Amino acid sequence: MQECSQWGGSFQENAPDGTPGRYPYPPMGRLGSSSAQRSGWPRSLSALVIWGAWGALLLYAVWPWLPGRGRQTRPRTIIVYGFSILGDALDRAVLPAFARHWRTETGERVEFVTSFAGSGTVTNQLIMGVPAHLALLSLELDAQRLATAGVIPAGSWKTLPLGGVVNRTPFILLVRPGNPKGIHDFADLGRPGVTVVHPDPLTSGGANWALLAEYGAAARHAAPGHEREAGTASLRGVWSHVVAQAASARAARTQFENGFGDVLVTYEQDAVHGNEKDGKKKKSAPKWEIVYPPSTVLSEHTLVIIDKNATPEERPIVHALAAFLWSDEAQTLFVANGFRSVRDELNGANPAFGTIADPFLVADFGGWTKVKKDIVDTIWKGEILPGLGK
Amino acid sequence: MSRTAPPRKAPGASSPVLPVSLLLAVLVPLLLMPLAAVFVFAFRGGFKDFVSALIAEDAQFALRFSLLIAFLTAAVNAVLGTFAAYVLAKYRFPGKKPLTIAVNLPVAIPTVVVGTSLLLLWGPIGLLGKVLAPLGFSPMFAPAGVLLAHLFVTFPYMLGAVKPLLDELEVTYEEAAYTLGAGKWQTFRYVILPALRGGLFSGTLLTFAHSLGEFGATVMVSGNLRLRTQTAPLFIFAQFEAGNVEKANAVAAVLAALSFAIFFFLLRWSGPAGGRTQGH
Repeated sequence: MQECSQWGGSFQENAPDGTPGRYPYPPMGRLGSSSAQRSGWPRSLSALVIWGAWGALLLYAVWPWLPGRGRQTRPRTIIVYGFSILGDALDRAVLPAFARHWRTETGERVEFVTSFAGSGTVTNQLIMGVPAHLALLSLELDAQRLATAGVIPAGSWKTLPLGGVVNRTPFILLVRPGNPKGIHDFADLGRPGVTVVHPDPLTSGGANWALLAEYGAAARHAAPGHEREAGTASLRGVWSHVVAQAASARAARTQFENGFGDVLVTYEQDAVHGNEKDGKKKKSAPKWEIVYPPSTVLSEHTLVIIDKNATPEERPIVHALAAFLWSDEAQTLFVANGFRSVRDELNGANPAFGTIADPFLVADFGGWTKVKKDIVDTIWKGEILPGLGK
Repeated sequence: MSRTAPPRKAPGASSPVLPVSLLLAVLVPLLLMPLAAVFVFAFRGGFKDFVSALIAEDAQFALRFSLLIAFLTAAVNAVLGTFAAYVLAKYRFPGKKPLTIAVNLPVAIPTVVVGTSLLLLWGPIGLLGKVLAPLGFSPMFAPAGVLLAHLFVTFPYMLGAVKPLLDELEVTYEEAAYTLGAGKWQTFRYVILPALRGGLFSGTLLTFAHSLGEFGATVMVSGNLRLRTQTAPLFIFAQFEAGNVEKANAVAAVLAALSFAIFFFLLRWSGPAGGRTQGH
């Protein structure tokens, strides 16, 4: 052993220097060990500082997981997935309210693990098997996709109150301050020189609602028999001016805020809530104005319960949370966060809500299955996109 | 103590003013200004806002979780990578060449593809996952999945740092050790390991740094669960997308500062000659 360590040492010192270029990598190792050659492990002060820093970093990283650090009772955990604009409303208002409610009722602590992305992305993640207990999707179509993939029993969301619809929000237009392009309706987006930021219908549930809004607003006011024509023309007008497509409604707003486009088609919630958030913090003029089209769709957001991801002990609390979403308290919190309640009498509480002359629902166009087939797939994907060379 | 020769002057070096200023003109907007922007924006709301964004529970979790995964990844790959390098450098066997290529592949594969392939193997609908999930073993969308992804993505760094040293290490030293009566383990411990020390340091650091910044594979396999599997880079992306630019920037500034620190540590150990400092 003695000999060996001497061998190691003398190898270090006599290491051949004259072989550069023989290997693809510079001999970093030899250089690296220079300060540690004699003593084995570095002993100098600066080395001590560096090792101390690494130790501190490691300690910082493992701190919450160290044993003996008070985790009196393990809280119950519920995993909630939601589409993009729900983040603030759920994380800061509704879920903490449920946690308080559950604690006073049962004494148990609840914590939530949440994840938010475009509705289509969330759906794909659920199909890939993320362990969510509950998911709030922005359109029923995604719930149907989950049922087809076997994640939830077919039609299970329809047994929930109001067919699983938790809240609503109309589709509106966001324009630059002062509305320099004079936008008042979806039809104005087709005018020359107008640029539109739109979420991507392939990944964003909101974008599908936007397609229906653009089509429906025109179709509802067309002469009888010419609905399809008018709706298609309206869609074509909007889509020939789309300059940026983001994966989710939230991401689309970020693009718009960063200066892309004249108009953003989005949820009223995102606009109202965004303005409130900015206004409170910076007291600066809002970066946009909301334009309410005379006729637009009210999107309806569907809750699904993924029972197979919950153990039998977890199911009661998961179902209690689901039921809580329709309670007065939760609905009021949704309104405070910019969503329209499924109960109209609560909507007066938010003064930011504008009036829409002619709101309509997806049911007016025969439900999502029909709208997806006739409008999204046949007209938008089949006729308009190829026509625009996209 | 015989050291490496002092750095040679470039042959025929003329005035450095022009090339250096040209280099700076390229580097300042390309590298330095974006980095500065992160810090400028992080502190734009004042130091208090920066701190309050940073001590938020989810930001703290993301940072700690990222560091923890980086430490684990570095530790596991330090051992695994050294072992792989040893086997590939010291043994001759059929299929050695393809295997050498295979272990270096993760450098070439886009990290998103790594994430997807891990999902398709270990995920609840994946090849192995389908069998293992009913047994209660499902690493995807859990911390274990993040670790798996990081081990995969960073595997070649250790190998790249250690294998050249092993290739260089002449067999005669080992043979001499055996002749003197050293066992296999003693030879490894007292002959080979000391020669590898610098490579182990730099390889581990590169692994650590890369793991700290990994995004593509992590976003696929983690499920992006806040307070459970959300790493710091995922946190930055999620907060940025949600419009909370200040929160995103605060964590981004910390991550950038950490990377700088690691980089200087790396330079210190690898000497002023630099060496292979790829990655971040």
